Amino acid sequence: MTHSHRDDAPADFSLFRRKILIGGGVILGALAAPPIATIAADSAGSAYPSQFMELSGLLIAHRLDRDVGLRLAAALRMKDPAFEAKVGGLLQIAKGKNAKVVEDFFADVPEGPLKDAALLIVSSWYLGVIVDAPDAEVFAYELALMYQPTSDVMTIPSYAISAPNGWTSQAPPLSEMPIF
Amino acid sequence: MANEDSADVIIVGTGIVGCLVAEQMLDRGLSVLMLEAGPRVDRWRIVENFRNLPPTLRLHFDAAYPPKVWAPHMESYTDAAAAEYLQLEGPNARAYRQGYIRYAGGATWHWAGICWRLTPQDMRLKSLYGVARDWPFDYDTLEPYYTRAEYAIGVCGPSDPALQWPSIRSKPYPMGPLPFGPGEQRFTDAAARIGLKNLPSAQARNSRVAYDGRPPCCGNNNCIPVCPIAAKYDAATALPKIEAKGGRIRANAVAYRVETGPKNAIEAVHYFDSDKISHRVTGKMFVLACNGIETPKLLLLSKDERNPKGVANSSDQVGRNMMDQPKLVAELTLAEPMWTGVGPVQGSSIMQTSQGEFRGRHGGALFRFNNMARSTFGGVAAVRKGLVGKALDAEIRRLSACTAEIAIEHELLPDPNNRLTLSDKKDWLGINKPNIYYDVGDYVRRCAQEYSVPLVRKLAAELGAVDTQVSTVFTNSDHIMGGMIMGANPADSVVDPDCRAHDHPNLFLPGGGAMTTGGCGNSTLTMAALALKAADAVIDQARQG
Repeated sequence: MTHSHRDDAPADFSLFRRKILIGGGVILGALAAPPIATIAADSAGSAYPSQFMELSGLLIAHRLDRDVGLRLAAALRMKDPAFEAKVGGLLQIAKGKNAKVVEDFFADVPEGPLKDAALLIVSSWYLGVIVDAPDAEVFAYELALMYQPTSDVMTIPSYAISAPNGWTSQAPPLSEMPIF
Repeated sequence: MANEDSADVIIVGTGIVGCLVAEQMLDRGLSVLMLEAGPRVDRWRIVENFRNLPPTLRLHFDAAYPPKVWAPHMESYTDAAAAEYLQLEGPNARAYRQGYIRYAGGATWHWAGICWRLTPQDMRLKSLYGVARDWPFDYDTLEPYYTRAEYAIGVCGPSDPALQWPSIRSKPYPMGPLPFGPGEQRFTDAAARIGLKNLPSAQARNSRVAYDGRPPCCGNNNCIPVCPIAAKYDAATALPKIEAKGGRIRANAVAYRVETGPKNAIEAVHYFDSDKISHRVTGKMFVLACNGIETPKLLLLSKDERNPKGVANSSDQVGRNMMDQPKLVAELTLAEPMWTGVGPVQGSSIMQTSQGEFRGRHGGALFRFNNMARSTFGGVAAVRKGLVGKALDAEIRRLSACTAEIAIEHELLPDPNNRLTLSDKKDWLGINKPNIYYDVGDYVRRCAQEYSVPLVRKLAAELGAVDTQVSTVFTNSDHIMGGMIMGANPADSVVDPDCRAHDHPNLFLPGGGAMTTGGCGNSTLTMAALALKAADAVIDQARQG
């Protein structure tokens, strides 16, 4: 499998700030492309993986990596056999509100198993793990979304965004959220 | 015999001290065999180990280095795990939870790369302030070795004497300083406003240019636990050089006994391999460089009829005077972004606060802005708040950018009561685990109360902190010193000014354990300088036969 974000593909990992802006444009374009719901159902014919990705897209308004998502979907269902039903329940609430982003429907998710499931999906995408505990399986490192809100300044540890002595003490204001 | 081997020089330990000594020996035509308790691994493996850690574990540098059962080291991820290997007691037991790994290359893998020198005053505490001990030689004697060490491992630093620490130097640094990121610059500016100078650190990281076959630093911000590109000096690049010069490195070889002969010269080192099979290696000269805990442990384990208190221990000082720089940490929350994670994880410190007439009453302190990217911390903390959507992203950005950490590392005096002994508890091979009693002492406590904590609060206020939490429990800085203390008098010290054991003519114990006092700065460059000084003595002695 090719990982364009890995450091063994340096040509794809040259993130001077100007290029981040250009890249931001590309990412916006990707978001406008056919949504994640077009992902094929799994071999058993279940709609669950594509429902998981569709719900993830509604919970998180960022570009989501398909490989990471499919692995997360499988692991969450393995951990909790009722997870698939919870995904369905959450999708129903979102569709009932004609939601486009999480702010459109999250207040309508009842406290309890459904809300816990929604927060677990969000935290899994952001942290790259389902549980943050020793021996936990890591589903995403450099693609974990928690690194993205600071990606205009902070290095994802071990992945350089600079060049020899190429960094400076300049930093943008807090309000300039990167696009990801 | 299959399990016998020999070389001119036997070196136990493959960290910075063992590696520097080995190269010197090989350059003079002496044969070298190095023994390493732990495994030998490639850089990519450690990098992948790190990236495959769950977020909170990434903050524990040792988690990327799982120990082998035959070579245990302290694992810090829980208190229970941390209590497995190092047995700690005393009022400040927590402050001696020393991080080091038993892998080929030792702590060079995960060190921050900071290369402060001692000052002339740091070496004369008794004469100047009436406390502790004086070193048996002065700064001018050590200076040429500092310079050689800086060129051997590749240290970058400022050319402006006003920014050097200390500025008494015989040659410039081999490379210029690394730039500051935004947080480090803001810290420097705030310090300046209250009369303190935050200096660019001397660092064993290549600045702008390649050096000694290693590339320049690109700011991967991962010096701890591993530099992914080898810009920092570490053993993954040093060990192949040693082998290229003909040195032999035996990994998974756990030294457990140093054997003495009739004239109390060292004759052999015994080690277990990973199948618990014992081996014996003989040589003309022996260098133990297993770090400040493992070396005294090995000496104590080696007691025999001639040396009933342990090898090199007629003074009863082996394992005593255990030192470090006890650390407190100030956690700041700021209204404005500070930003970390740009450049190396550490790149500067306030050093002037390590010096002063106050040293008759309390120790000095070093203040360091920690530049490790706070995005992992910010991400985990924001997610735990149960936020979603734009609120989550904004909180991650705020917590990552508008929080900061200032470490305070305190000067501690050598105290014979701070002592390493052999625990009754044994490891997988049946070797006694180290037991350490530790009390940071009133010298450190007074510094915190009267000097360092009030000063860090002033710094925090100047930075615009809206909340400042200063830890109240001293923790480890991982600068293990003192356990084979150096002195001119064999009655109260373990090694002579060349790190030669007073008791054994062909046994050398260079490194942090030999340091007479520790100052406030990271100990590595002094260890490296002592390694080169010892290497000269080994070579001279080998020549004389």
